[in-house]
Amino acid sequence: MTKAIHFLPDEKNHEATRLLPYVMAVMVYLSALALMGSMMLHKGFGDWTQSLSNRLTVQVTTADQETRETQVRQVMQLLRNTPGIEHVRKLNEVEIEQLLEPWLGAGNVTSDLPVPDILDVTVSRALKINLDALNAQISKISGNIHLDDHQQWLGRFLRLMDMVEYTALGILLLVVMATICMVIFGTKAGMAENRETIAIMHHLGAQDSMVARAYQNRFMVYGLKGGVIGLLLAFVTLISLIYLSRDLASGLVKVPELPMFEVGILLVVPIIAAAISMLTARITVMRDLRRMV
Amino acid sequence: MIHFDNIGMRYGMGSEVLKDISFNLKPGSLHFLTGPSGAGKTSLLKLMYLAQRPSRGKITMFNEDVTAAKRENLPKLRRRIGVVFQDFRLLDHLTAVENVALPLRISGGKGAEIEEHVEELLTWVGLKGRMKSRPPTLSGGEKQRVAIARAVIKRPDILLADEPTGNVDPAIAKRIMHLFVELNKLGTTTVIATHDMSLVEEIGSDRLHLQEGRLHMIRAGENVSNLPNLNEEKFDSLEFDSGKLDQNEFGPKPIAGDDML
Ligand SMILES: Nc1ncnc2c1ncn2[C@@H]1O[C@H](COP(=O)(O)OP(=O)(O)OP(=O)(O)O)[C@@H](O)[C@H]1O
Ligand SMILES: [Mg+2]
Repeated sequence: MTKAIHFLPDEKNHEATRLLPYVMAVMVYLSALALMGSMMLHKGFGDWTQSLSNRLTVQVTTADQETRETQVRQVMQLLRNTPGIEHVRKLNEVEIEQLLEPWLGAGNVTSDLPVPDILDVTVSRALKINLDALNAQISKISGNIHLDDHQQWLGRFLRLMDMVEYTALGILLLVVMATICMVIFGTKAGMAENRETIAIMHHLGAQDSMVARAYQNRFMVYGLKGGVIGLLLAFVTLISLIYLSRDLASGLVKVPELPMFEVGILLVVPIIAAAISMLTARITVMRDLRRMV
Repeated sequence: MIHFDNIGMRYGMGSEVLKDISFNLKPGSLHFLTGPSGAGKTSLLKLMYLAQRPSRGKITMFNEDVTAAKRENLPKLRRRIGVVFQDFRLLDHLTAVENVALPLRISGGKGAEIEEHVEELLTWVGLKGRMKSRPPTLSGGEKQRVAIARAVIKRPDILLADEPTGNVDPAIAKRIMHLFVELNKLGTTTVIATHDMSLVEEIGSDRLHLQEGRLHMIRAGENVSNLPNLNEEKFDSLEFDSGKLDQNEFGPKPIAGDDML
């Protein structure tokens, strides 16, 4: 490949496209946020739902304390004898208080408040237990004992998360398409502005690819410039969001961390932006010039 | 080298500005192209520098039918042709040196050699002090000399100059003509469109004379007054070199000339 020939006016004189890097920055900002949001949801909530899916919760809500304690012992006995159940543990008062704290506030859980006993059950991932049968046996002990496998809630939650993820990916796709359109407009405007220059280059024997190279280099720089600006802004936004949500959500939900692998992927976004910009410019120039025959 | 066979050309849907043009220019020849303003000199040159396709007829250059040439083959043909445009067509945002260097860069020349070569030529045409100037800051004559330097820098096989001495004083005009003649002696087939009859007489070459879109060959030394009445239908076109003259008034309906860019 021969060295690119300098023949276009400097960028700062290039009225048609001088703002392009900034629009590019907005596009990269939006796609970085969409991508990051989607990845964080996927990873963060993925981990979390994973940890929930091999857990069961049993609540014993019988009001009378003595009866309740007997029932708790019976249920624990039953669960421990059920194949596929690895571990059964009764949450202590402190843990229950912590669970209720976000709703009731610290120090408001008093001893006279009727609080159910809660058993945290870990199920083997390998063995599938028959929940219906287990439920039937539990209800024989008392109607006040509830087995919750979180599936219903989890299912709804996962559907919501999927929806959010698809939306994010959809936004990403739209942003990429808008970027391509913008680069096409920009390239065409740039070419219209330099019509005479391009004609002269042709008279001097320049091939279309020489003209295209000048534009593709220029638009690659635009993409890279915009990409870096956009990505920096996206990082600032993300870090602020994570910082804020940590404050807010203390203990209620596990806040997704800024995962290093995904951050690494984001660093590639400006390069992708530059590549899209460059390729689009090249194809646009080549096609437009060919149409000039 | 350049062979026109019954060429007709029109712009868009207008009437023909060149009619029934046939001629053959031998390699290494030098011709002047004369004729009143609007006669079609620039149009004829445009066909030769492959900026325009004729609406009819066939043009052969470098032993190739250029009327049928594919778009992707045009650059390599154009690189063998040096052109001085009537309106210069310099790139305003490049310096004089950069403008003149363009043909060399386009054909893949190396930076340092180019620079030296270009500066030498610009010095020769009297622009030593204006190397780094951009065309908008140059006078008409200075621009013209930059344009000439750009056209000859590569020692093209064919040199086409459209009024190359229109904006310079007689001394510089002479110098430029001398450059063209020297280049021609080295083998460059040359066509120079001009209104300057004193230069034509001084050099004494054959003339292609255009009148109302029709071509007449005038041999060196021949007097213009010997010419047949140019407005009369029966003297439509003069034939030379190519042994035939095909006056097909009822030929295929002409199509518009194509812009080749
Ligand atoms: N781009 C164009 N579109 C339409 N008509 C054109 C175009 N260029 C030239 N013409 C017409 O073609 C005819 C020949 O023009 P041309 O420029 O070839 O003349 P010329 O001999 O070079 O004149 P001059 O000596 O003034 O430069 C003129 O009638 C002109 O109006
Ligand atoms: Mg002219």
